[in-house]
Formats: sequence, structure tokens, C-alpha cells
Amino acid sequence: MENLRVLIKSLALPLIAPVVAIAIAAVVGAILIVLLGRSPLEVYQTLLEGGLSGWPNLSVTLQMTTPLLFTGLSVAIAFRAGLWNIGAEGQMLIGALFAGVAGYALAGLPTIVHLPLCIALGFLGGLLWASIPALLRVYLGVNELVVCLMLNPIALLLTGYISTKALKAPGPTNKLPDVAQTAYLPSFSIYSQLNAGIILGIAICIFFLAFNATTVRGFIWKLIGLNPRFAHYGGIDVKTNALWIMLVSGGVAGLAGVEQVLGQYHAFYDNFSPGFGFDGIAVAMLANSNPLGVIAASFLFGTLNGGSAVLQMTTGLSKYFVQVLQFIVVLVLAARFVWHRKPGAIKRKAPATAQPQPVSQEV
Amino acid sequence: MIEELAFSALRISVPLVLAALGGLLTFQAGILNIALDGFMIVAAFAAVAFAYATGSLTIGILAAVICSMLLAALLVVFNLRFKAHIFIAGIAVTFIAYGLTALLLEGIFGQDGMFTSSEIPTFPSIDIPVVKDIPFIGPVISGHTLLVYVTYLAIPVVYWVLYKTRWGLRVRVVGEAEAAAAAAGVNVDRIKIETMLASGFFCGLAGAYLSLGYVSLFAKQMTNDRGLIAIAAIIFAKGNPYATALVALLFGLASALSIRLPEVTGIAPQILQLIPYVVTILALVVVGIRNARARNKHGSWNFDIA
Repeated sequence: MENLRVLIKSLALPLIAPVVAIAIAAVVGAILIVLLGRSPLEVYQTLLEGGLSGWPNLSVTLQMTTPLLFTGLSVAIAFRAGLWNIGAEGQMLIGALFAGVAGYALAGLPTIVHLPLCIALGFLGGLLWASIPALLRVYLGVNELVVCLMLNPIALLLTGYISTKALKAPGPTNKLPDVAQTAYLPSFSIYSQLNAGIILGIAICIFFLAFNATTVRGFIWKLIGLNPRFAHYGGIDVKTNALWIMLVSGGVAGLAGVEQVLGQYHAFYDNFSPGFGFDGIAVAMLANSNPLGVIAASFLFGTLNGGSAVLQMTTGLSKYFVQVLQFIVVLVLAARFVWHRKPGAIKRKAPATAQPQPVSQEV
Repeated sequence: MIEELAFSALRISVPLVLAALGGLLTFQAGILNIALDGFMIVAAFAAVAFAYATGSLTIGILAAVICSMLLAALLVVFNLRFKAHIFIAGIAVTFIAYGLTALLLEGIFGQDGMFTSSEIPTFPSIDIPVVKDIPFIGPVISGHTLLVYVTYLAIPVVYWVLYKTRWGLRVRVVGEAEAAAAAAGVNVDRIKIETMLASGFFCGLAGAYLSLGYVSLFAKQMTNDRGLIAIAAIIFAKGNPYATALVALLFGLASALSIRLPEVTGIAPQILQLIPYVVTILALVVVGIRNARARNKHGSWNFDIA
């Protein structure tokens, strides 16, 4: 009996914060809809039905879910270790570029070589792009957030230059030449561009679930996130581990680009991303960095994004409504940690916050 | 040609300079506010919506400033009271602002992407009496709209406030050594709130200029990462008002050139647009190397990075 209660508690507790955040977002969203003169019930119903009812809609939802699996997991890997990878957008673009170039330049290889090679190169692309903030953070102490923030537009402009000038495919569209069929991720559905990328995405989430739960390395990465000082004094090489966390995180973000290029568009198009990298932040925060949570959160946002196409047709509101909901969730969850850790901190009067803080310490 | 380019560089840089002035105030108080884009887009929308509805430029600008400051208040409440990470809260606020403005564009004006109307009032350009007759300088400096003059006059004002007033001193102390400031009796949170609201004020003007002064329309995401470029200018110039404004002006010139040069030389526009971001990262690397040299040889992990 006691065990059961503990079990229920341990299963239910992590769900409270995300559920509260979603509820707050839904209420704020409902107020917005009322202000715009629409019926909230109708809008939410359309969103959910449009995302879930019937295989055609569901396959669009799953297609929308796929990139979020990768970017969400990417942000979650870094986030769990106390590092902020807000550069997933740029890493995804570079990963997509690598996969896109390898997809057409290496044409002629058999599928069994070509496809894995393109996927690996996409991973490498994201990893290399993440190595810039990672190396700067680890060896020069430069804030990885600022660097990631600057690298996102750099990646967009760079891939823009390559796909509109340097390696542009002949024709009016700004894209690279088409990927050879041997590098296609097999497609599942005639209703959407759902493809084998989703299996890869779920597989890699489950891999990291096992990695986090069963390996020493997974534990070390969690420890670094919980308390880097403790980890350091416990004899863990925080520097090298942090470097690898950022690199792996970047590589996984690169896979999001791989899926877009090899699975959905079959070529690298300029400016193809509507911001999957940033959506990844919302996914990771809602998931509280748990890979299983990443799958659930990706599916939730995928459903809303899939449903927004139907919403557009019936009410004239669109994906921007979903975007607002998503980032209200981020804002609420960003505030959450204090409620967890030190509930007293909020009540403290303003001047009292001025406790002497450790000045930027190196050990 | 050069006169024309200088004239349009002054014009095109206005939102950048304004956003940078706003951003550097919080930067001096120790907060790197990355939500400048969010503040600006909300202001740009409010400016067009209210100017269109009332036909009054004054009301448009006022609405822009108020909306931008409200968003700033939201961000600072989450940052200080709820202890949300300033970057994550900033990203959230920015994307809420992007989404909300695009949503309102659809919901109110029934437009996807862009709204314009001949009923949106425009700013008259102002000729400065004597100056306009001076060769070269006249055509460059004279003939702008009111907000352009306000922007460039605001630079020395911000400098004076930061370096010559008691409040400015407090802001800088809070940024330099928060604990010391608090120990000396400075109300740290209040200073942070005030700088953030000032940031909202300047971004409000920037957004209003973007949608009412530079063009007469609102387009989704029309800020085009100007907030990010402003942050780049602030970091590069370490928050000094004159230097930051100058760097913002140069970055503005680069983006002005990126529109015009390709027509003449065939160079890709992206190359010039890359400059602000690349330069900023290089500046961070230089600072990083300098700090790393000064650091303890056995340094392993810098736990607290600003």
C-alpha cells in the first residue's frame, strides 16, 4: 500500500508542472480568442480534431511531430546538464545543409551506404556548428547563450548564400539540387510527408532514455546539471563532459535537418525552417528534459500544429495561435524552478535579494 | 550617390540605434535583454493599428511605447519576481510577441503577413532652416522625419544620464557589482526594473519608427532581427552609448549596402548581412582569450558566467 502511494507520487509529481503550464496557456489562449470574437471551445475543438481525427490528419500531425523530436531532444540533452543550447535552429540548418549536399553530390552509391552516410554527415554538421559555442564556452569561458544566439542568423545567412548562389540548383527556386533517390528516408503516407525519420526520432529518444537511466555517463551528465561544483569536487572532468554534451546536442539537432531534407523536401531549400529549433526549447522545457517527455511534448505540439491548418480554414486563425500557446508554456515553465526549490525566495522583500554572491569563481 | 547613401544610412539605422540605446541601459545594469525584437514588433503593430484607427500619429506612437513597456514589465516580472532565466524568458516573450502580432493581424485585419492602408498617417519630413543649405551636410542631415532627430539627440542624453547623474551611477554599480550596490543601499531590483522599462520605451519608439516612419505598413516579423543586431552592437561596444550608437550605425550601413550593392556588383547580400554577427562573436573571442590568459592556470570550469 505504502509502495503504491510512493509509486503514484513519483509518477504524478513530475506531471504537475507541465499540466499547470498547459492549463495556464490554454486559459490565456482562450481569453485571446474571446477578444478576437471567436469561440474558445470551437477553436480548441477544431485544433484537436484537426490534429487527431482520421489518418490523413494524424499523419500530418506525426509529420509535424518529427522535427520536434530531434530539436526537443537536442535542447533537452544540454538542458539536463545545465547547459542552454538555444542554437538548435542553426545546428539544424547546418545539419540539413550537410545532408542536402551529400544527398546529391554522392549520388550513385547504393542506398545501404548512401542513406546512412547522409544521416551521419547531417549529425556531423550539427555537431560541428555546436562545437563553436561549446569550445568557446569550455576553453574561453564565453557565454554559450550569446554565441548560440548569434550563430543562428549566421547559419541562416550562410545556408542562404550557399543555396541561392554558390551551389544553387538551376531553375527559379532557391534550393540545392535534388537529393538522389538512394538517400530518401522512406515515406509512409500519401496524405503527408510523414517518413521514416519519425522512427529514427523515437528510437533516438528511447536510446537516450536508456542512456540517462542506465549508464554512468548519463548519470554524470545529470550530476553536472544538478551541481557542477559538486561534480567537479567529486572528481568529474566537467570541462570535457560539457564539451561532449554540447556536441551531442548539436548533432541531434542536425538530425532534425536531415529528416527535413531527406524525408520531407528531398532537397535543401533556402529558409525552410519555420523555427523548429526554437520550438525545441518549448518541447524540452515541457518535457523537463526527459526523453519520454520529449516524445509526449513533441506529439502535443505536433497535434496543435497539425490542427492549425484546419483551424486556418474554418476560423482564419492559424499556427500563430499555436506559437503563442507554445511560448506561454515556456514562459510559465521558466518561472517554475523557484516554486520548486525555494518557495521563500519570492516573498522576500526586494533589497534583501542582495546577498553576497560568489564572484565568478574558477577552481 | 554618397549623399544619398549617407542619408538612407541615417534613416535605416534609426530603429537599430534606438533599440541599442534601450538595450544598453539594461546591459549597464547587468541584464542582457534579448527580447528587444519582441518589444519592437509589438510596438510596430500597436503603432500601425492605433494610427490607422484614430488617424493620429501621436496616439500611434504613444500606443507603441505603452505596449512595448508593458511587455518589458512582463519580462522583468518573470525575471525578478519569478526568477525565470532572462534568456529563456526573453526568447519566450519574443516569440509570444511574434506570434501575437501575426495572430492579431489575422484576427483583426484579416491579413496573413502584411497590412497597409492609405489611411495610415505618415510623418512629414522636417527641413532644418540654415543647415539644409550647407553643401553635402545639408542633404544628409536635413529633411528627415521627427523620430530621426529624436533618435540622434537621444544618444548624448542617454550618455549624460548614465555618466553624469546619480541614477546612472547606480545603474552602472548594479551592473558592475550587484552585491556591493545592495550593500551600499541601492535598491537593485528597482534599478533593474527602471532600466528594463526604459528599454521598453526606446524599443517602443524603434517599433513605431519601423512601421510608421520608415514605411507605412506592418508585416509579421518585420523587425528582421534588428534587435539581435542591436545586441551585437551593444556587446561589441561594451555598452558605451556613443560607441554603441556608432557601431549600430555602421551595422545599419552594412545592411543598407546589402540591399544596394548586389544590384551594382553582384555580391551576395548575405555576406554583408553576416558582418554584425560575425564581428560580435570575434569580439567575444578576443575578450575570452584575454580573460583566459588572466585566469588561474588550473582553472577547470567557469561556473558562473554572466
